[in-house]
Amino acid sequence: MVSFSKTSGAGRILVPLLGLLIALLGLVLFLGGAYLLFLGGSPYYVLMGTALLLSGYLLGSGDIRGAWLYLASWAATILWTIYEVGFDWWAWLPRDFGPTIIAALVVACLPLLRRQENQDLRSGSFDHA
Amino acid sequence: MRKSIALATTALLGGALFQPAVAQVRTSDGAPSETMNDQQNVPEKFRAPPPSAPQAPGVNAANLPDNPEINAADIPPMVPQASANPAPADWPAYGRGDAQNRYSPLAQITPENVGKLQRVFVYHTGSKPAPGQQNKWAAETTPIKVGDSLYMCSALNDVMRIDAATGKEIWRHASGVKYQSIPYTAACKGVTYYTSSTVQEGQPCHNRIIASTLDMRLMEMDAETGKSCEAFGFGGQINLMQGMGESVPGFVSMTTPPPVINGIVVVNHEVLDGQRRWAPSGVIRGYDAETGKFVWAWDVNNPEDHHQPGPGKFYSRGTPNSWAAMTGDNELGLVYVPTGNSAGDYYSALRSDQENAVSSSVVALDVKTGSPRWVFQTVHKDVWDYDIGSQVTKFDYKAADGTVTPAMLVPTKRGQTFVLDRRTGKPLPEFPVEERAAPSPGPVQGDPRSATQPWSVAFPRLGFPPLKESDMWGMSPIDQLFCRIKYRQADYEGEFTPPRLHRPTIEYPGYNGGSDWGSMAYDPQSGIVIANWNNTPMYDQLLTREQAVKQGLMPVDAPGFNPSAGGAEGAGAMAETPFGVSVEPFWNRFTGMMCNKPPYGMIEAIDIKTKKVLWQRPLGTARANGPWGLPTGLPLNIGTPNNGGSVVTAGGLVFVAAATDNQIRAIDIKTGKDVWSDVLPGGGQANPMTYEVNGRQYVAIMAGGHHFMMTPVSDALVVYALPADSH
Repeated sequence: MVSFSKTSGAGRILVPLLGLLIALLGLVLFLGGAYLLFLGGSPYYVLMGTALLLSGYLLGSGDIRGAWLYLASWAATILWTIYEVGFDWWAWLPRDFGPTIIAALVVACLPLLRRQENQDLRSGSFDHA
Repeated sequence: MRKSIALATTALLGGALFQPAVAQVRTSDGAPSETMNDQQNVPEKFRAPPPSAPQAPGVNAANLPDNPEINAADIPPMVPQASANPAPADWPAYGRGDAQNRYSPLAQITPENVGKLQRVFVYHTGSKPAPGQQNKWAAETTPIKVGDSLYMCSALNDVMRIDAATGKEIWRHASGVKYQSIPYTAACKGVTYYTSSTVQEGQPCHNRIIASTLDMRLMEMDAETGKSCEAFGFGGQINLMQGMGESVPGFVSMTTPPPVINGIVVVNHEVLDGQRRWAPSGVIRGYDAETGKFVWAWDVNNPEDHHQPGPGKFYSRGTPNSWAAMTGDNELGLVYVPTGNSAGDYYSALRSDQENAVSSSVVALDVKTGSPRWVFQTVHKDVWDYDIGSQVTKFDYKAADGTVTPAMLVPTKRGQTFVLDRRTGKPLPEFPVEERAAPSPGPVQGDPRSATQPWSVAFPRLGFPPLKESDMWGMSPIDQLFCRIKYRQADYEGEFTPPRLHRPTIEYPGYNGGSDWGSMAYDPQSGIVIANWNNTPMYDQLLTREQAVKQGLMPVDAPGFNPSAGGAEGAGAMAETPFGVSVEPFWNRFTGMMCNKPPYGMIEAIDIKTKKVLWQRPLGTARANGPWGLPTGLPLNIGTPNNGGSVVTAGGLVFVAAATDNQIRAIDIKTGKDVWSDVLPGGGQANPMTYEVNGRQYVAIMAGGHHFMMTPVSDALVVYALPADSH
């Protein structure tokens, strides 16, 4: 069982909240994306939905790998944007603006997650991973 | 065999549809056996009522007494008009002069000094929605200027003369138009200045203002005093509901300035889209501009009879209507009529061959006879509401070998611009028109689409490539995904995807254009065309009659009609056809944002000699637009939907408002860059104009707003000039 008991109060709330937000976004993208794929559309959304669901779950568990997974998805999104629309900046807005804000939040949470990780290592309670 | 089964099915469906309509009518002989395609046998409901029957309020619907008729040969020769060769300081017609090219030779305001423009006056027309009234306003007005005066109309057709230098109202002619006579939109694009051929100079009504109204009256008044010209019609007006048969207020309306060609004033009118197959006629009529006497009618399904309908008769119903501004041609004796669609716009199986030959076309009518001399069709069997909204612009085309051809520009909602020989209606050899394959026969049984559609291949198309899924847009991946799903749910085979049942289709270009009523500006000195256009796809779907009834769709003349359930330019009952229709922007209705990526509006300059685009750019910023209708305040040049045209001046400037950012701007014609802008008190959905008084150049724009464009409505005419001491 993961414990946030020794981290700061902010970390106890912020990281799981961010995880919950990412998981919810992931759920919407997964369900809508599956339907889009069924209609013959782009597979990006269902793939991203899957990644965000997993990332959200890991973050909610205080697992730093959730952050790395989100940031990898974000980098993949940038590459996908270039692949799909090139450098048409208006077309970047829906694809990358929101995800980049969340990426910034994830990066901001990294110190908290690292501290958590160190504490878990010290207290030997990281064995669940 | 299969075909006849399909037709029988259609007839059955049509018959079933008729039940409610017929049930409202007390049938005298008890056996109304209408044949759908026979105009003289349209349902009894639409025959003129007996003379003793009370008329609908407002519009006098039917059985008005005939006007006296006059032979075209008996009309006196027309004296030269102010619009024939406009004085440089004047703007005497809607598009400035008879060429309707929106070009002014004034050059005081230039790219160098335009930044110093300031408001000289704001004139208030007094017409805007009263508290509690549904907003149907979009004045769309362009004043005309002759001598020292502006002449204009309010959205509800009051006519005003204004001091062009001070904005002081000199006279106002009250029209008495009522709110219930507003059709889709309370608009009055302008008035016509006419100099009489029979009344001597100095006498009342030597110079006249001709105005048409939302409740279908044609009025003439003295330009000097605003008093009615008693010699015209009945006390200065004629009621154009004469011969129209059954109607209700707001079903048919006039919103454009009628042109006068060789002494004959020609009138068209809009008929509300999407109401019923047997809507009132789209008849075009000519009257003696001196007396208001009837000269001819052009009735599409009754082409040999140019007279007024006899007792109990009416002009053929459901024929294509013409709502855009017409252009006259005194030299060729023609009036160029931009036509729309037959009634029941998204279903074409009940249209006659005559209707199919002239819908969504430019029709050149001989003003002596009212017969077409030529027809040029821009869409065959239109089921996309691609009616022509633009006024055609006349110009002299100078070919490379030095020959000069009387030509015209025909802008369309499709973004195709046709360049025709005015004498024949044939495309100029330099601007060939190709018939290209279009999706056909389409999914609607018994209503096949045309196998080809016309493309003007040499003139730069006003549009972007067909939509792709990756063009879908939003603020986040989630609303973008929503639009991607909408895109994939729809049937879309590019332009001319036929509307169908049970599945939406994407209509792209949408019915707002390409080019709409703002038309084009053309500089005859440089041969440069200025065109602003929209990039706003629509999402259409045919509805079964059951679905249409469930949605509460009913025609405007139905007893239980509720204006908020549906109306023109959107979902329509299309009564007396098998289907209703759902039409909405291709958008995310939760955020109010379009599904396709910006820009949504563009403006460009095209050199007609080289057929090259000189510059092209988005028109309108995001300052007053954003998700959930919230203004972002951002000066980003996103390119917004736009309605209203431009002015091009010899000073090297283009003045245009039109966009939904509620600004008027001046663009340097050389670079395409903004060199000045000002925020208006309402949406600038109107054509601006420019004029000079006492050596000072002015620029005027009606900031009337537009209900459908969701821009703020105002009653302000805003007029600019350089500071008095700077020129």
